[in-house]
Amino acid sequence: MNPTGTDRSPTASWLATWRCLLKTAGGHAAALRNSLLGLLAAAIAQGLALACLFPLFRAVLSTGNAEAALYWLAIMSLLAIAATLLRWRAQGFEYNGQLAAMTHALRTRLGEQLRRMPLERLQDSRTGEMSAVLLGNVDENLNYTLAIANLIMLAVVTPLTVALAALFVDWRLGVMLLLIFPVILPLYGWRRPAMRRGMRQLNQAHRRTSADIVEYLQGLPVLRAACSEGAKAAALHASFQHLETVQTETRRQAAKPDVVVASVVELGLFGVAACGITWVVMGTLDIASLAATLVIIVRFSEPLATFVSYTMMLEMIEAALERIETLLAVAPLPQQTPAALPDTFDIRFEDVSFRYTQAGAPALAGFSAMFPACSMTALVGPSGAGKTTVTRLLMRYADPQQGRITLGGTDLRQIPSEALNGLMSVVFQDVYLFDDSVLANIRMARPEASEDEVRAAAKTAQCLAFIERLPQGWHTRLGEIGDRLSGGERQRISIARALLKNAPIVILDEPTAALDAENELAVQHAIDALVRNRTVIVIAHRLSTIVGADRILVVEDGQLIEQGQHDELLVKAGRYRTLWDAQQTASMRFL
Amino acid sequence: MSKPWDILRPVQRQIQLAMLLSGTSVVLGLASLALLALVLGHLIQHPHVWPWLPMALATASLATSLLLRLSAFNQSHYAAFRLETILRTNMAQHLAQVSLGHIQQYGAGALAKVMQDDIKALHIFVADSTPLYARATVAPLCTLLILVWLDWRLASGAVAVLLLGLGVLGLAMRNTGPMQRRYNAARERVNAAIVEFVQAMPVVRSFDTGHATFSRYQQALECYRKVLNDWYQQAGFTARYSFAVLNPLPTLIVLLGLGGWLATQGTLNFATWAAVLLLGAGMAEAVMPLMALHNLVARAKLSIGRIQQVMALPALPPPVQARLPASNAIDFESVSFGYGADPLSDDELALCDVTFHAAPGTITALVGSSGAGKTTIARLIPRFWDVNAGSIRIGGTDIRDMTTETLMAQVAFVFQESFLLADSVANNIRLGVPEATMEEVVAAARAAQAHSFIEKLPEGYATPVGERGGLLSGGQRQRITIARALLQNRPILVLDEPTAFADPENEAAVMKALSALMRNKTVMMVTHRLSTIREADQILVLERGQLVENGQHAELVTQSGVYARLWQNHEQAQRWALKRQPAALGDDDAKENKR
Repeated sequence: MNPTGTDRSPTASWLATWRCLLKTAGGHAAALRNSLLGLLAAAIAQGLALACLFPLFRAVLSTGNAEAALYWLAIMSLLAIAATLLRWRAQGFEYNGQLAAMTHALRTRLGEQLRRMPLERLQDSRTGEMSAVLLGNVDENLNYTLAIANLIMLAVVTPLTVALAALFVDWRLGVMLLLIFPVILPLYGWRRPAMRRGMRQLNQAHRRTSADIVEYLQGLPVLRAACSEGAKAAALHASFQHLETVQTETRRQAAKPDVVVASVVELGLFGVAACGITWVVMGTLDIASLAATLVIIVRFSEPLATFVSYTMMLEMIEAALERIETLLAVAPLPQQTPAALPDTFDIRFEDVSFRYTQAGAPALAGFSAMFPACSMTALVGPSGAGKTTVTRLLMRYADPQQGRITLGGTDLRQIPSEALNGLMSVVFQDVYLFDDSVLANIRMARPEASEDEVRAAAKTAQCLAFIERLPQGWHTRLGEIGDRLSGGERQRISIARALLKNAPIVILDEPTAALDAENELAVQHAIDALVRNRTVIVIAHRLSTIVGADRILVVEDGQLIEQGQHDELLVKAGRYRTLWDAQQTASMRFL
Repeated sequence: MSKPWDILRPVQRQIQLAMLLSGTSVVLGLASLALLALVLGHLIQHPHVWPWLPMALATASLATSLLLRLSAFNQSHYAAFRLETILRTNMAQHLAQVSLGHIQQYGAGALAKVMQDDIKALHIFVADSTPLYARATVAPLCTLLILVWLDWRLASGAVAVLLLGLGVLGLAMRNTGPMQRRYNAARERVNAAIVEFVQAMPVVRSFDTGHATFSRYQQALECYRKVLNDWYQQAGFTARYSFAVLNPLPTLIVLLGLGGWLATQGTLNFATWAAVLLLGAGMAEAVMPLMALHNLVARAKLSIGRIQQVMALPALPPPVQARLPASNAIDFESVSFGYGADPLSDDELALCDVTFHAAPGTITALVGSSGAGKTTIARLIPRFWDVNAGSIRIGGTDIRDMTTETLMAQVAFVFQESFLLADSVANNIRLGVPEATMEEVVAAARAAQAHSFIEKLPEGYATPVGERGGLLSGGQRQRITIARALLQNRPILVLDEPTAFADPENEAAVMKALSALMRNKTVMMVTHRLSTIREADQILVLERGQLVENGQHAELVTQSGVYARLWQNHEQAQRWALKRQPAALGDDDAKENKR
């Protein structure tokens, strides 16, 4: 998380958290600050109310002055009422919905950030998963802010107020009480690294168990076929056992500082009592003050001792805030000026090199290629050669580290991202349909399209027949019927979407992999309609499908190694020829 | 309340111990306060004698109370960890006996979530709430007893404050059910929107010009905020009110006022009064955790419900009398099967009255359009599901009369998606035959056309394949699973579109590997690549769950039936190639294309 976190003193890190919190609160910062100040004032009033016990007891015991006692009781009640009112008002930030509004605004901001962020960062499994978790849970952590602040103030500020007030009653008592606080802070600082280490180990163990569980459940058919399921899944049981060991160990480690903190606090308070008793016995302290001290401090022992467990929550809030900052700090891909829109659609890769953030080797190394407008260019090559990277860079999934990509002579980085997205239709190998109606799924590509236009696109994509068979026809929600659509049907919906979008550039990434024959034929017809008169880039494994391409680019190890038309490349007897021959023999039969 | 607590049964003893320790700790804590009161009393009577004994006892009981409290939490935590292991082990065990169909229907992902997250979610409930429950009930009760014994008038004052707070707290705790449900539903909606938003981002960016996805995300958030607001509004008054009443100040003030008045009446001495103040001020505060605990339990209930639901999935009934197959023939006799809730209603049937015989050592191909029932037949053989009518027999024995071990010893499977464990290549090939020697593993790999690429891997056969084999290509993974099936060497082989995910440059190798695997076996094979099965001994053509044609390629293709149509489609699809642009390419065309 934060490597410097362990070095900072707790107070400094709390200040940083405070600033971070106010920044995160955005437009609600002022209200949040007021609310927290209100809680602070309430905690002080509570402390002062308790401190009234000193004069009150004196009035009762030493002087027997009933009027004075009544007077102090009245003051105490007023302070108690003030504390309650202040707290009531301050908690309004939470209960009147402002806190929810604050996290709501934050999540909207985070969502917008996801739309701007480079896809490479988003799809990097770590960042992607983190973002999802953050969006999902951030409010859970932040919604505790006020409750935790209230508890911590009652545990720290109230006793501190009493201790300061005690200075006026008997300076020795005050000093003794004040001594307890400096002891707690280093204890907290001491506990923190251990706590973090424990958390890390636990997270690791949980991740391992989680991966093992997923593997076990996904592999259950295979494991059962291999008679390795249930009690025989040794790895799984080992991982459960490992988790329990780590959990127990972490608990044991975490319990130690807890004992120390609780003992220091509670026994420390008893130490104060013992001093008080001694002073009473010596005759330098009146018994009323001692009685008042005792009544007050026994109320503190619980909140002070559990204070350390609240800091755990604080830690979670802090971690959430840090992650929010990290996520919000991810810059969108830069937009070069002057902004420009291309008016032709030939694509040029000029000496492009690109390496994925997490990867060791570059995915593209000095790749130069030309994709003429209104023609079909095929990318072929073994898996991992860099074909998909080419299309990704074209969609500005990320920017290349070296070289440039131009569209109609304009550098991609000069084209505003919305405009760039508007120029391309993509048909992916895995189709993603949204949990919305069929109509909306197709129409999302061009919301202003009339129903007739949507229908026409669906017809061209060979979708009409099966859409009309669906329970509610065009208005069937795709989330509800789940896998009742076959792969080919889903693919055709995605093609209808692309047709409706009517973008000048079409990218096809293995759209017919893994379809059955009947579906494959229909999808093929749909694709034929889609590619008409457009600049088409197609990635295909099955070479027979791209023999008619205007240009075939053979990619290997991130480089362009051959290009030309099918016949030329066959004659050349190079890499393409080898691939082609290998596939021709593959259509062999079983004996 | 009884239902959620049931889940604690395996660690019941330890939890009870934790609660006992926690309760005792509370009693000792109160004792230390009472002793402190005694100290004060002593001092009032003998101001110049250090009250060693009561003070030492007070300190001792405080220290013991601390230790007991800590060990209570330790016990409950250890119990919670043990419970997690027990529940997960039981669930893994149970799922091993549930029909694979049920598992598929539930979804491996959803099951994994229950097994990991829901069981993990129990932790707070088991580890933290059980000792706290003991505390929150024992503390006020014991305090009350002591107060009554000290002075019943002051005790009733403290009780009045407690009741004032408790009444409202009780009100707040009622009717949280519907709110909790609304809250959970809203949260789930938000999560679904987030998953859609994050996972589908490439599609969103390329197509979602109208920002439909983002507005779906915002709508979900908006709805969530509304629920949250309602909840806050509903809880706002009671939560603030109960905090205002139950914090120590009101009790303290009541006890001070009432005590002061009684003292001026001369019916209360200072020592008793101080004792009541020491002990009584915390009584109301002690019940405050109940509210939070109530919410914790309500949350845990959801997880417990899901765990119990998984544990209630029916296990496959074991055979009454286990029998062995006599040969390697497969027979389907009038098999009907449906996935739906009402399996025998006609439109729900995935298979309807299917009968065929596959002789030992022959190849049977299953073809048909998607949804015709091919895969269903392949999955009924390993008992993903049991048939609704009719029977499936291997070597004359109904598969329901075989133990899982017997059945699995007859049949090897190669599925569409090859599954590899995150282990070494060798161990993946060895799966199911752990005693196989390295020579046997290599021989199997050779026959499966996998040896040469395995040798080139950084650590050869010891190379880890990564999570789900992620470090290998589709065709390589498939050849490893074929090597596995070769090593298992079982007489019957079920193949479900084994070449679907092989990349074309690996296709030839996969085909060769499969041919080696199929030699001398009874093979059932689902495929849509009709060219691969032209030589099959028997082709079963399915349409909407019915067996419509049965024969060899040469006869079927001339019959102008379903197979002939499929074959024609297939031929056409094979010949398909993306067409070159119709017009000549030039700048004019490019300009026409611009918008």
